[in-house]
Amino acid sequence: MKEVKIFQQMYRDGHVSRREFLAAMGALGITATTAGSLLTSASALAATPTRGGSVIFASNLHGPDDTLDPLLGTSTIDYTRSNASRNGLIQIWDDMSLNAELAEEWSVNSNATEYTFKIRKGVTFHDGSGLTAEDVVWSMDRHRGEDSPSSIKSFFTNVTEWQAVDKYTVKLSLSSPDADMPYKLTQPQAKIVKANATDWLTAGSGPYLVDSFQAGVKSTHSRNPNYWRDTGQWLDGIEITAITDMNARLNALLAGSVDMITSISPKQIQKIEESGNNVLSVPAGLYGGICCLKNTAPGENDDLVQGLRYIQDRERIVRKFLKGHGTLGNDHPINVSYGADHCHELPQIPYDPEKAKYHLNKSGYSEAELFVAPVTGIIEDVCLLMQANLKKIDFNLKLKKVPTDGYWGAVWMKEPLNVVSWNMRPTANSMMGIQFGPNGNWNDTFWNSDRMGELLKDSLAETDAAKRHEMHCEMQKLVSTESGIIIPYHTNVLDAHNPKVQGFSNVPLGQFGGNQWMEHIWKNA
Amino acid sequence: MSDTPTPQNTNSAIQFDELPDAPPKRKIKLSLLGKIGVVVLIFWAIVVAIGPMIAPYHEADILDEELFIVPGSDEMYPDTDFQPPSKIVLLGSDYLGRDTLSRILFGARTTIGISFIATTLAYLLGVLLGIAAAVGSKRLDMILSRLNDALLSIPSIMFALVMIAALGSTIPLLILLTGIIYATSVFRIARSLGQEVMVSDFVEAARVRGEGLWWIITREILPNIAMPLATDFGLRFVWVILFISALSFLGLGVQPPMSDWGSMVKENLPGLIYGSVAPIMPALAIATLTISVNMIVDDISAHTGGKLAKRMIA
Amino acid sequence: MLWRALLSRLGISLVTLWVVSVLIFIGTNLLPGDVAQIILGQMATPESTAALRAKLGLDKPPYLQYVVWLQNVAMGDLGISKAGLGAGLGTPIVEILEPRIFNTLRLTGLVTVIAIPISLFLGLIAAMHPGTRLDRAVTFSTLSLISVPDFLVATMLVLIFAVFLGWFPAIVYLRGDETGWVLIKTLAMPILTLVIVASSQIIRMTRATVLNVMSSPYIEMAILKGVPRKRIILRHALFNAVGPIVNVIALNLAWLVGGVVVVEQIFSYPGLAKLMVEGVLMRDLPLVQACAMIFCVTYIVLIFIADMATILSNPRLRHPK
Repeated sequence: MKEVKIFQQMYRDGHVSRREFLAAMGALGITATTAGSLLTSASALAATPTRGGSVIFASNLHGPDDTLDPLLGTSTIDYTRSNASRNGLIQIWDDMSLNAELAEEWSVNSNATEYTFKIRKGVTFHDGSGLTAEDVVWSMDRHRGEDSPSSIKSFFTNVTEWQAVDKYTVKLSLSSPDADMPYKLTQPQAKIVKANATDWLTAGSGPYLVDSFQAGVKSTHSRNPNYWRDTGQWLDGIEITAITDMNARLNALLAGSVDMITSISPKQIQKIEESGNNVLSVPAGLYGGICCLKNTAPGENDDLVQGLRYIQDRERIVRKFLKGHGTLGNDHPINVSYGADHCHELPQIPYDPEKAKYHLNKSGYSEAELFVAPVTGIIEDVCLLMQANLKKIDFNLKLKKVPTDGYWGAVWMKEPLNVVSWNMRPTANSMMGIQFGPNGNWNDTFWNSDRMGELLKDSLAETDAAKRHEMHCEMQKLVSTESGIIIPYHTNVLDAHNPKVQGFSNVPLGQFGGNQWMEHIWKNA
Repeated sequence: MSDTPTPQNTNSAIQFDELPDAPPKRKIKLSLLGKIGVVVLIFWAIVVAIGPMIAPYHEADILDEELFIVPGSDEMYPDTDFQPPSKIVLLGSDYLGRDTLSRILFGARTTIGISFIATTLAYLLGVLLGIAAAVGSKRLDMILSRLNDALLSIPSIMFALVMIAALGSTIPLLILLTGIIYATSVFRIARSLGQEVMVSDFVEAARVRGEGLWWIITREILPNIAMPLATDFGLRFVWVILFISALSFLGLGVQPPMSDWGSMVKENLPGLIYGSVAPIMPALAIATLTISVNMIVDDISAHTGGKLAKRMIA
Repeated sequence: MLWRALLSRLGISLVTLWVVSVLIFIGTNLLPGDVAQIILGQMATPESTAALRAKLGLDKPPYLQYVVWLQNVAMGDLGISKAGLGAGLGTPIVEILEPRIFNTLRLTGLVTVIAIPISLFLGLIAAMHPGTRLDRAVTFSTLSLISVPDFLVATMLVLIFAVFLGWFPAIVYLRGDETGWVLIKTLAMPILTLVIVASSQIIRMTRATVLNVMSSPYIEMAILKGVPRKRIILRHALFNAVGPIVNVIALNLAWLVGGVVVVEQIFSYPGLAKLMVEGVLMRDLPLVQACAMIFCVTYIVLIFIADMATILSNPRLRHPK
């Protein structure tokens, strides 16, 4: 299986995409499920799942706002609990394909304004009642209306009605075409719960029951004996907690106090591997970057932004700060993890202090202030490197460090220069749309381009692969030259676990394979 | 200090449970440890003065990978972070590949500067308000004392957390906050000392002589509380340093890339597991400074006796 | 006489509590963002934030919210935690506090039980033999331990005892049914850290206080009369040093209840200090207020006990002229 190893390395280095990797594995005669686990682990080939045992999962953040209501989930721990105890209509698998979950099948009309979902029969909630179309309509309607506090409310502004046609059929009517709707329904916030639920502990239909829940402390879960799907459910129990301190989290894994830890720092990888634990490093579109607001000084000055682009020592960032667990950023969000939509033709912007100096001189600025909060992994280190490199060419970048709490409301999209992080979205179009759609809610560099808007709309309807790629290339070029975003790196999703725990998938949309590991991991005795 | 047990209070004959009517004469003799303490303090004072000038690199410099290439090796991009001490980095490098020695030298100014100014501020505020409460009207005393109690009862780290999150982490604010937090305990000491002096016979006598309040404060109260407060200064200075390092643990310390010793310990903690000296060196710097200050304080208090111990509690 | 003193003390305490609540109210209102914004985080839009705000009752002016809170507290109702309320999961603050108070008291209790006898013993030993090697060893090691940031002490201990030796768990993960040895083992790391940090202070203070009392005239007299040194210390000096020592212990206890944020953070221990930090980060005002009230009451009660001890141990204060 030498070829597998070579491909694994190529995949990790970003030379082949997820889809290409899976295709290559198929050519080698390896089934899709096995190939999925091969993306990160060679040992998965020989492993057979065993039933029993339980794991303790330690996330990175928790607090009094931990919630079992999918509507307000915002953190890894919320998503994990949600995935353990609830199901959605549709889910995403390893190859980023859409798959049936509570919706057995779905269909869409020709202009993508009307969807029909066939709801699975025989699904029961944890309290014993059966799932019907009413539950789906109630759950989805909670994301709509003026008084809905849903955190993904804006995804559904084009919804005119969720309608229960009969007991097991739901019709969704939209006011404008939306081919991405099925992807939106895979969001962890869009889980289906029992209509008019009052007891959140039993409102879901997922693979694990909620036995206890204490916000900011922990929750315990046991296997749902009446689960509708046979996906293994190998573990007897799952315990979910969080350890906020990064070093403490690692020590807990090393000492065997917990089985899985999320969000490890690249610096910890060497130790984890030395200690015999496994690192789960999944290439992803996740990135940390710098937003220069285009509607105000100094970001409105194109030369300033261009100068700041050339001063990013991207190779060193990936090599040293990420220890190789990431890919070079090219100032647009769509990296190789997005498969065919990634524009490999676009030349990589290099580290070039001379050009940086030229552009910064031309901009007329000799100093600037950047707001930094540790919103994601190494972003602070990246800013410090940028500052040190700017110092060499006599540009004084002041860093203003602010706390993470309150950052999104008080600093991001407000201060002229700030840092940002974005998780990977299921499709290139949804990622570009959310951040660069003209006048969108999260247009965080305030860059409004009509051409961008056109391309976003047209690419969604384009069926010709070559033309679609061309459109995506144009969008990526536009973003990387005209917008105010600087993306020096994309980081792999990094987690670590006890080697006894196996069977992780590789969905790059969240920690530990898109936060949906509960159904198919097992623990060797 | 010799091995023969020394009688530890040669001047104790004049020690009473209350303050003596006049400041006793003191001649402070330092023990060996005290002398070492003085030497270490002078060393750090020099570093504060010229540290940045003698530092091999700037505190913000992230060293180039080329510097670390071993001659003859074909590794073009050697690791720069958490490197052990070598000719290039005398005390090793930190988590970003910066020179630990340079950061300690730069950081001396920040750490000692902030702590010193904050402690001084705490004393100015505490003594001023404490004496005001002691000599002022009952109502003033009541208001100041309640406010002080309230501040004291809020865990200081919480107080700082809220204020820094609200107003932003700048050095002046850090100093002001720490000053206010530690002023609360100075206030308690100054107030109770002041009250004791106010009811003492010699103040009575001064009053009878017709001296004004200002005269009493400057001539009687201040001299009488100066010594106990001065010895207390050392301990509180140490607490302030540790307090600021605890703040940096919560991410509220000085602004990057500025170095202060407490944040250096915190930011390099991930290196501890690799046996890196990066978190140890700044901790040693803190320890040498604080231990030597305390050695001197111990010596002074052993010679002044009095009710120092009780004062140090608050 | 005593009742009057107690009553006035109670009145003063209530005023202090009120001042604390005002300070907390002002402080938390200065913080950028509110619960609604923080919960929604990066994905907040003006519409969803407004909707959540309305659900949480944050659309009223802040001072009004404070007045309502104050009224409820006066009636003995601490209110409902704002975080989590938007999802209809309004957990009463009392319910959140209960297990946390229990955890904090348990840890504080264990640390106290271990730290105080050790510190008093070492402090006294050092004071009985001032200037000897033993005294210097105790003094120097306590000083060194005081001088190291507590998060470094904690991390080193974890690396030694949990990671390398594997004797204890690296974090405190409570299942809730631990008793006896298992409980001690689970809590071992934070106990060890806190005992080290707290003891060093108490040892230093005990030594200093006893030495100080030893220099008072009546002890001089006793020495001159030829009373054995040991007897002097145990019978006379210690008794007179009780006041200050109890004071130190009281302040250390108050710190153990509310000030051990760093240690609770490192060991992921669900105690009160961590809860208050989480409350602040979430801008969950009622929760922050409740924690602050607990810390304030703790402080007041402990200081009261310390004052009583001072009075009882000092004959002159017991019978004022």
